[in-house]
Amino acid sequence: MMVSKKKKILLVGSFSEVRSLANSLISKNFKVTIINNNYEECEKLAENDKLTVIYGDGSKKFVLDDADAASCHIAIALTKSDEANLIICEMCKDFFHVQKCVSMLNDPMKTEFFYQMGIDRVVCALNMITNIMEENALMDEMMKMVPLDKGKLHIVETTILHNSAMIGKKLWELNLPKEIIIGCIVRDDKSLIPRGDTSVKEGDTLLMITSDIDELSEMKELTIN
Amino acid sequence: MEKDYTIIGGCGRLGSSIASKLSEANKDVMIIDHDKSSFRKLPMSFGGLTMIASISDLDRLKNAQINKASVFIAVTNDDNANICAAQIAKKLFHVEKVIARIYDEDKIPLLTKMNIEAICPTRLSVDQVYDYMEAGGKHDGK
Repeated sequence: MMVSKKKKILLVGSFSEVRSLANSLISKNFKVTIINNNYEECEKLAENDKLTVIYGDGSKKFVLDDADAASCHIAIALTKSDEANLIICEMCKDFFHVQKCVSMLNDPMKTEFFYQMGIDRVVCALNMITNIMEENALMDEMMKMVPLDKGKLHIVETTILHNSAMIGKKLWELNLPKEIIIGCIVRDDKSLIPRGDTSVKEGDTLLMITSDIDELSEMKELTIN
Repeated sequence: MEKDYTIIGGCGRLGSSIASKLSEANKDVMIIDHDKSSFRKLPMSFGGLTMIASISDLDRLKNAQINKASVFIAVTNDDNANICAAQIAKKLFHVEKVIARIYDEDKIPLLTKMNIEAICPTRLSVDQVYDYMEAGGKHDGK
């Protein structure tokens, strides 16, 4: 990849939030600029010579200007203040025409509002954790879930045990509810894309996509009984 | 709660003064601040309501019946909080008149694009000082 073609990402936030994300983005060959409002943290961050570090309040227009926000493809606001994150994203959009703005959010209630204000992606850590907690508490241990699209869609992973009623059956014979799709079967460390005539074997791991989490209980019965 | 119900976010010097003025004029007024002790700035005669909450807390704003408010005024000392709350009042609760005080002139467009009235003390002071100088250093009074 040419240096000039590297995608630029702007991160605004405090040391702990920003550092690991920055490192991961650099390893994926992005050009990263960080805005941080603590001088000592900036010095620490600047030890990494691949990072451009700007000291200042990221919710100020001239600081975003200094960071050359207009040249960034993506802006990510991860300060501790929801309000600041909102303003940072709005300014990146309105004043610097950044293509994609992502905001961290503490208060889950405001998710919809942030989207309405034109932020492209809202990441609510608390929401994610509560979702995971809830799923872990309600579902069987052998199911793992990943909520997508604000929890409207789920990817569920489940392993077929020896006593499952599904063993030996072809997928079309299972009468799956239409809200569930089996997207992938992992068998002996290989993944295969299933078709209607693929049959389920003991030890298979099924990756399912579902839009209706209630249908999963039916699925659960199938895999266990 | 009839027509003129005003919600004020932030009980600082400005917020408390507006609140007491409205209360004196017998208007319905609710003042919100996250710090209980800031309500001490209100006069004894204050006849409105107070609520301890963050001014951009959706649940509490609903409790304050913001959907029935005709005016929402965001005057905390945090620009970002004022903009956020004002945008919430306008976008989610369709409050007719929304006013926000912000110190940073650069952020005014974020408010005006949504028909929110921005009060910028710096700009007002500059204009005032300029007018005064233009008047030849004399205060013409009223």
